[in-house]
Amino acid sequence: MTCLRQLFPVLLLLGAAVAGLCAEPPASPIGASVRVVSQTVGTDELLLALAAPEQVAALSHLARDPAFSAVPGEARSYPQLTVGGDAESILRYAPTLVLFANYSRAELVVQIRRAGVRVLIFDRYDTLDDTYANLRLLARELGAEAKAERLIGDCQARMTALAARLRRVKSVRVIAPSPYGMIPGRNSTFQDLCDHAAAENLAATLGHLEGHAVPPSEQMLTWPVDYVVVAGADLESALAPYRTLPPYEYMPAVREGRAVLLRPCLLSCVSHYRIDGYEMLARTLHPEAFQ
Amino acid sequence: MILSARLARLALPFTLLVLGVLAVVALGAGDMPLSPARVWAGLWHRDELAATVLWQMRLPRVAVAMLVGAALSASGLVMQAYFRNSLASPGLLGVSSGGAAGAVIAIALGWAAFSLWALPLTAVVGAVFATGAVLVLAQRGASTERLLLAGVALNALLGAVTSYVLSQYAGLYERNTQILFWLLGGLEDRTWEHVLMGAPILVAAAALWPLGRPMDLLCLGEREAQSLGVDVRWLRRRLLALATVLAAVATAIAGTVGFVGLIVPHVLRLLVGPEHRRLVPLALVGGAAFVLACDLAGRAAGGLRLGIVTALVGGPFFLWLLRRHP
Amino acid sequence: MVAAASSLNALEITGATVPGRIDGVSLQLAPGLLVGLVGPNGAGKSTLLQVAAGLLPATGGVTWNGRPLAAIPTLERGRCATWVPQEARFEFGFSVRSVVAQGRFAHGDDDQGVEEALARLDLTTLAGRPVNRLSGGERERVLLARALATGAALQLWDEPLAPLDPRHALEVLHLARELTRAGTTMLFSLHDLRVANCLDMVVVLQAGHLRAAGPPAAVLTPDLLHEVFGVRARITEGLTLELP
Repeated sequence: MTCLRQLFPVLLLLGAAVAGLCAEPPASPIGASVRVVSQTVGTDELLLALAAPEQVAALSHLARDPAFSAVPGEARSYPQLTVGGDAESILRYAPTLVLFANYSRAELVVQIRRAGVRVLIFDRYDTLDDTYANLRLLARELGAEAKAERLIGDCQARMTALAARLRRVKSVRVIAPSPYGMIPGRNSTFQDLCDHAAAENLAATLGHLEGHAVPPSEQMLTWPVDYVVVAGADLESALAPYRTLPPYEYMPAVREGRAVLLRPCLLSCVSHYRIDGYEMLARTLHPEAFQ
Repeated sequence: MILSARLARLALPFTLLVLGVLAVVALGAGDMPLSPARVWAGLWHRDELAATVLWQMRLPRVAVAMLVGAALSASGLVMQAYFRNSLASPGLLGVSSGGAAGAVIAIALGWAAFSLWALPLTAVVGAVFATGAVLVLAQRGASTERLLLAGVALNALLGAVTSYVLSQYAGLYERNTQILFWLLGGLEDRTWEHVLMGAPILVAAAALWPLGRPMDLLCLGEREAQSLGVDVRWLRRRLLALATVLAAVATAIAGTVGFVGLIVPHVLRLLVGPEHRRLVPLALVGGAAFVLACDLAGRAAGGLRLGIVTALVGGPFFLWLLRRHP
Repeated sequence: MVAAASSLNALEITGATVPGRIDGVSLQLAPGLLVGLVGPNGAGKSTLLQVAAGLLPATGGVTWNGRPLAAIPTLERGRCATWVPQEARFEFGFSVRSVVAQGRFAHGDDDQGVEEALARLDLTTLAGRPVNRLSGGERERVLLARALATGAALQLWDEPLAPLDPRHALEVLHLARELTRAGTTMLFSLHDLRVANCLDMVVVLQAGHLRAAGPPAAVLTPDLLHEVFGVRARITEGLTLELP
């Protein structure tokens, strides 16, 4: 008798397990209309560029944060996921398609699939060509292929124009300082920005840093930095923390205020909005080319 | 012993009842708003969406919560008997920090995004490796003092590994967030695979069940117990193995959740006395109920991580209990 | 329970050596003897008792009733002999009754003889008290009651009289005498040589070596006492000791 009572939770568990394994996920919801939930900020930007308003069910928890999202204003008209949310918090928006990145939690993706919802995982987003491919992929799901081609056409035109302006320009030497001890080197979105704005990322060429890494602080003082690239709302407040932070406070570029400003989201952008970053950086580093 | 003998006998059925109630409440709680009618319909597969949510999401979550609570609580109880100290916890010998190191490496290197088995498996490997390393470091009969010192050393070392990985991936916001969230413990998106991975907990609990009486003798002195007929070497090895398996698997499927192994057995012992024949089943059921309750409380409070809730709940309650009954 | 053939020794130790503690100690105890183990501090009394109980590995051999220790499985050892430590450290609050009942572990946890053991050690009123809230003497009596409850034929007690008040010490000695009359063999260490003088056999250890073993009259001579303990002894009706 006592034994049975003590076994009760075990039996409950086993029963649930058996039943769970036998349970079938429901068939996909009826209706041809597409409703998309975007789980990462990169896919937010792609989605808002291509989808009709009724196709957007919810955006990622960073969509309205100007530090990470290039479309904070537009994102405000749509619901937002919570940080660390689970599958249920996505399913409550009744999506037909959910957009993930290759670093999204495996169990979250599995749960969404098991609910019978279509899943799209983006695993290449380093270069602009990757972005074009992602746009086309997403457009196919939304039935917005024409819109995507138009957008890609615009992007390519801007890129050609930018390249033309920067053809005879001399490369400017830059770094992107950070207050938490790591700066971007090769294979980072900042490197991508520099490559398209005729800038030389000294962290990569002189520091040989890969990804985000700790720079050699003492050596860094000897680097011939022309400009530091900082992120924030305005130049003075963005540069201010570095004026009192070693080793940056000793750098001539910081002391003399040779800094350029980027919107914070552009330093981590993986969508087509990175072109805004290329243009913004190029314009501030090479004003003579934009006369 | 705070409860009278009569009340102590009712402790287990009462705790089972509480567990049952909490499980029912947990099935009705989640981000997807489901009315009780829909929950009922979903349980019987009459409402497809509700059925998916209940059977694929909420039931596994409840099951994992119960498994983790039972495992951590039982592991703490065993450690307290093993070290003859009611303040011992499962993490003393490096199980949690080993699991954390393994899991953090899996997330950072992207294995965790590849397959949902990767993270728990690396966590278990890390946990078992840590305990094995402690035993090797302690060596030769592994006396209590040597084990504790080796555990301290390994906890420090593995903590450094975890911190190193965290620092290296600081630039990757998403991954860092995942690591941090895992380190704070959490039960979102638990699947039936996680429940399956938690099955060793049931096996270990069953193996622990008959060891209650020898544990009584052991915790009053190893040599005395040996003289009374307990095979102390065998028992200590068995207890250590069980405590490790329980804590390692629990950490693997829910992240590092602290305080359950320290608080629950200690509080139960204060309430119903130190007899392990009573404490073992009570720790299993009580731990399950405790973690389930903490998960519900955390979700009600707007998404507090499980590890934070257990600490917030466990600490002050423990202090209160001590003040009432020194 | 008592050896059928009276020629078998209840306890036989041959050449036991624990490095740094005892060296080449050999001892034979016939069944039903009340034996006292004496010696200065650090002589190795506790060590010898643990070796006899099979709790400390030593070179040389130990047999109980003619059976070598290695051949007796652990559970059965619990039925054959009981060791009581010098000091009772109870870290948890088990009730007195449940600790004494632990003595029945090797007998399948029945409760035979538990109440009796509690009564003999004057613990009946304390039976429900948690053991970590007892005085030193009361804790010692709990240990002894637990040992009594095992019903083992060989009892090895380490300084059982030390924490006890005079009345309880006397009661324990009476209990020990009764047990030996029923066939139990008792070996316990003690410091009071006047008590040792009243036992069946005295074993004297000095610096890890066996100095003497036999009836007290033969062993506790003034010369030996002076040599081992550094005191002057006079034998009158009993034994009187004074400083040199």
